[in-house]
Amino acid sequence: MQDLLSFLISLLFRPCIFIPLIFPGLTVIFIMLLMIIWLERKIAAKVQLRYGPLYVFKPLGGVIQTVADLLKDLFQEPIIPKTVDKIAFLLTPIMLFGLAYLPTVVIPVSPTFYAFRSDLSLLLLLTLTTLAPIFTVLMGWASNNKFSLIGGLREGYLVISYEIPMFLSALSMAVLYGSLDLVDIAEAQKGIWGLFLNPVAGISMLVLIYMSTGKFPFEIPEAESEIVAGAYTEYSGIMYGLVMGASYVKLYVLSLVYAILFLGGWNPLPASMMDNPLLPGAMLFAKAFILIAIGVFLRAVYPRFRIDQAMNIGWKMALPFSILAIFISLGIVTITGGM
Amino acid sequence: MSVDKTIRHVKALATGIKYLVSSKRMTLMYPDEIEEFPDGYRGMIKYNWDTCIKCGLCAMVCPADAMKMYISKEESEEGKKPVRRPGINYARCVFCGFCVAICPTNSLKFTKVHDVVYNTLEEQVYPPEKFREGVPKPQYKKKPKKMRAILDEERGLRYEPVE
Amino acid sequence: MSLEERELEVLIGPQHPASGHMRMIAKIDGDIVVELRPNIGYVHRSVEKLAEAKKFLQIIPLVERPSLADTTANNLAYVMALEKLLGLEAPPRAQYLRTLLAEINRIHSHLYGLGIHGVMIGSSTAYMWCFGDREPFIELAQELTGARLSYSYIIPGGVRRELPSRFTEKVEKALRYMENRMKDYFNLYLNNPVTRARLEGVGVLSKEDAIRLGVAGPNLRASGVPYDVRKVEPYAAYPDIDFDIITEKVGDAFARVMVRVKEIQESIRIIRQVLKKMPEGPILHEKYIKAISPKMREYMKETGEVKFPGIFANLRIPAGEAISRVEGGRGEVIFHIISDGKMSPYRMRMVTPSFRNVILFEHLNRGVRVADIPAIYGSLDYFPPEADR
Ligand code: SF4
Ligand code: SF4
Repeated sequence: MQDLLSFLISLLFRPCIFIPLIFPGLTVIFIMLLMIIWLERKIAAKVQLRYGPLYVFKPLGGVIQTVADLLKDLFQEPIIPKTVDKIAFLLTPIMLFGLAYLPTVVIPVSPTFYAFRSDLSLLLLLTLTTLAPIFTVLMGWASNNKFSLIGGLREGYLVISYEIPMFLSALSMAVLYGSLDLVDIAEAQKGIWGLFLNPVAGISMLVLIYMSTGKFPFEIPEAESEIVAGAYTEYSGIMYGLVMGASYVKLYVLSLVYAILFLGGWNPLPASMMDNPLLPGAMLFAKAFILIAIGVFLRAVYPRFRIDQAMNIGWKMALPFSILAIFISLGIVTITGGM
Repeated sequence: MSVDKTIRHVKALATGIKYLVSSKRMTLMYPDEIEEFPDGYRGMIKYNWDTCIKCGLCAMVCPADAMKMYISKEESEEGKKPVRRPGINYARCVFCGFCVAICPTNSLKFTKVHDVVYNTLEEQVYPPEKFREGVPKPQYKKKPKKMRAILDEERGLRYEPVE
Repeated sequence: MSLEERELEVLIGPQHPASGHMRMIAKIDGDIVVELRPNIGYVHRSVEKLAEAKKFLQIIPLVERPSLADTTANNLAYVMALEKLLGLEAPPRAQYLRTLLAEINRIHSHLYGLGIHGVMIGSSTAYMWCFGDREPFIELAQELTGARLSYSYIIPGGVRRELPSRFTEKVEKALRYMENRMKDYFNLYLNNPVTRARLEGVGVLSKEDAIRLGVAGPNLRASGVPYDVRKVEPYAAYPDIDFDIITEKVGDAFARVMVRVKEIQESIRIIRQVLKKMPEGPILHEKYIKAISPKMREYMKETGEVKFPGIFANLRIPAGEAISRVEGGRGEVIFHIISDGKMSPYRMRMVTPSFRNVILFEHLNRGVRVADIPAIYGSLDYFPPEADR
C-alpha cells in the first residue's frame, strides 16, 4: 500500500507527467484560467468603483464566480447554426485550445526538471504559439457570419504584424545567451536578468505579448462594439468557453516564456532548492502571474486601438525596436565575448 | 513615441493604479441595502377614502390612464345611485404625480414604496376598495439595511445607514 | 474583381452590442466604409400623433419619454410653447428653478453620452465612471422633483416644487466633487494616448458642412459654430446668467467630446450663479395660485409642493400657433404647437436634436475604417428614441 502510494507520487513527479498534467500543464492552467478571469473582472471593477463578482462565495470576494460561469457554460445548449461548416466549426475551438496548451510541455520548471530538453526548445515553443491564429481565421471563415469573418481576418492581419517582431525580440535573447535552449537561457540569468541586459527587447516583447493575446488596448479581433465578438460570434456554451479560454492560456504560456527569457526563470532560487520542482515552479508561476495580472489590469485603463494603428505599432515601432534589440544583444555579445 | 505621449501613458496608468488601491466604491448593495428616498419621492400612491370628495380630477388629469373612476359597489347600493371613486392601475402609472398634485383635498399621497413584485397584470390594478388599503408592504427575505444617499465632496454619493 | 464584388454589406444592428435601437447598413471594402446608411424608426412611438389625442397637461410626461436622459429640455420647450399661447410667463423664481434643473440635467445627460462613447471605443472605465458620476446629479434632481429621470417638473406657469431644504449646500458638494473628478477623467481617459489616437482626426465635420446639414447642439459647436439657443434666444433665467458658448475648432470626434466635457464645467458655473441669484417669490403664476383653494394654498406654502388648480385637468389653450426653442443637452429642441382652442393640440411638432444629427451618420462615415463607426456614433451622442420620437 505504502509502496503503491509512493510509487504513484513518484510517478506524478516524473517530469514527463508532471509537466503536461500539473505545472505548467493542465491543472495549473485550469486554476489559472478560473483565477485570472475572476481577477480581471475584479481589477476592472475596482478601478471602476464597483465590486465586480461577489456573491458566489462572498468571504473571498466571489472567487468561484468563474466556476459558476463554467458550470453555466457547460450546461448551456451549444447552438450550431445551420449554415456553418460543421466540422471546421466544431473542431477549431478544440484545436485552438489544444494548440494554446501544447507549448507548455516544452517549458522547463527547473534546471533539472523538464519534460524534454532540446537545443531548439525556444524555437519550438514560438512555432507552436504561432500556429493557433490559423484556426482563428478558419473559425471566422467557418462561422458563416460577416462579423466572424472580419474578426478572423483581423486576427490574421495582426498575427503577421506582431509575430515577426515577437520572434525577433525573443531571438535577440537567444543571441545574447548563445542558446535556443530554455534551460540554458534561464540558467544564464543567475546574475543579471535579461530584462536589465536588454531592456529594449524586454519592453517590446512584453507589449507584443499583450498584443498577440488580444489584451487591451489591442483587443481588436474581438472588439465588441465593432464586430460583436469577432471570430467567436457564433459560439455558445462550452465551445465559447474554450475559445475564450484559449487566449488566456496563450497569455499564460507566453508569460511563462517571458519569465524565463527576461525575468530569470526560477532564479534567484539557490541551487539547493532546485531538486523539488515545486519551489522553482512556484517562482516561475509567480513571475508569470504578475505579468498576466498587469495584462488584465490594462483593460481598466485603455480603450482599444484601431486595427491600422495596431498594425502601425507592429511594423513601425515594434519591428525596428526588436531589430535594435538584436543589435544590442550582438553588441553585448561582442563586448563581453559571450555570456 | 514622443515624451509627451509617454507622460500621458504613465499618467493614465498611475490613475488606474490609484483607483485600484483606493477603497472607494459607488455601489449600493441592493437588495441587502435599500435606499431611503428623500421626502417628496414620487413612489406608489396611497388613497384616503374618507377625505376624497369623488371629484374625479385625478382621473381626468392622469396622462397614462392609470387613474380611473370606478363604481364603488357598496356605496352605490346604499345610495341607490352610482358613486364613483378613483382606482389605480400600476401597470400603467408613470408616477408623474399629477393626480396627487391636482387632488383638491390631498386625498392622494405619495409613499416611498416603489419596489413591489406582482405575479400577474391583474394584481396591479387597484380598484377603490383595494386602493384604500394602502400600498403593499415590500417583503424581504432578509431585512435590508436602509441607507440614505448623502452627497459628498470626495465620494460624490455616499450611503449612510438610517437609524 | 469588379468593385461591387469587393464590397461587403454589413448590417450593424438592431441586435448589436453598440448599435442602439437602430440599424446601420454599412458597405465596407476591406476595412474601409464605403457607405453607411442609418436605418431609423425602430423605436418610433408616434409622440406627435399621440399628442393630438391627449390633453395639454398630459402631454408633458409624453414628450419626456423619447429622450429619457435629457427630459428637462423637452419638458421645458413644450411648456414654453404652451405659455406663449397662454400669454403668461412664469414668475422669476420658477424661471431660475427651471434653469437649475435644466443644467443639472445637462450635466448628467452629457455624462451619459460620454460614458456610452467610452464603452464604444472600448474604455469600460470611462463608461462606469460616467454612469457612476451621473448618480449624484440624478440624486439631486430626484430630491428636487421626486423622480430620477422623468421629472415632469415644469408646468405651465411655473414649476412643481420649491427648493428642498439645504439644497444649495448639497449641490455645491456635488459640483466640487465633479470638478475634482474631472482631473482623473483627463488623466485616465481624455488624455490617454489611445483615446486620442482613436478620436482625433476621426469623423471631421467642417464648419460649412455643419451649417449646411443643420446639425444641432454640441456637434455643431464642435465644428466652430458658436450657436447656442441659450444665447441666441435666451429663455428662462439665462438672460441674467453669465456663461460662454463652448466651441472647438477641429470638428472631429474628440472635439465633440471636449465640447461636452467643457459644457459640464460651464454648467457647473451656471448652477452656482443660479443658486446665488435665485430670487424670492412664488413659483407658480398668480393666475393659477388664485384658482387653488385657500386650504391647498396654505398647504403649498407649508410644503413647497405646488398643487394644481382644477382647471389643469382640462386646460384649454387659446387658439394659435407657437414655436419654442430650448438648448437641451444634445442640442436644440423645437416645439411647434397649433392649438384650435380645444383641450388637445390640433397639431404638435417636436424636432429633436438627435433627429437633426442623424444625417451625420451618412456624412461622417464615408471613407472611415470599420472601427471608426462606433467612435463616430458615440461622439454624436445620438439617441435613437429621441430621433424616432
Ligand atoms: S402618478 Fe401620474 S400616471 Fe400615475 S396615476 Fe397619478 S397621474 Fe396617473
Ligand atoms: S382622490 Fe382627490 S382628485 Fe381624486 S376624486 Fe378623490 S378628491 Fe378628487
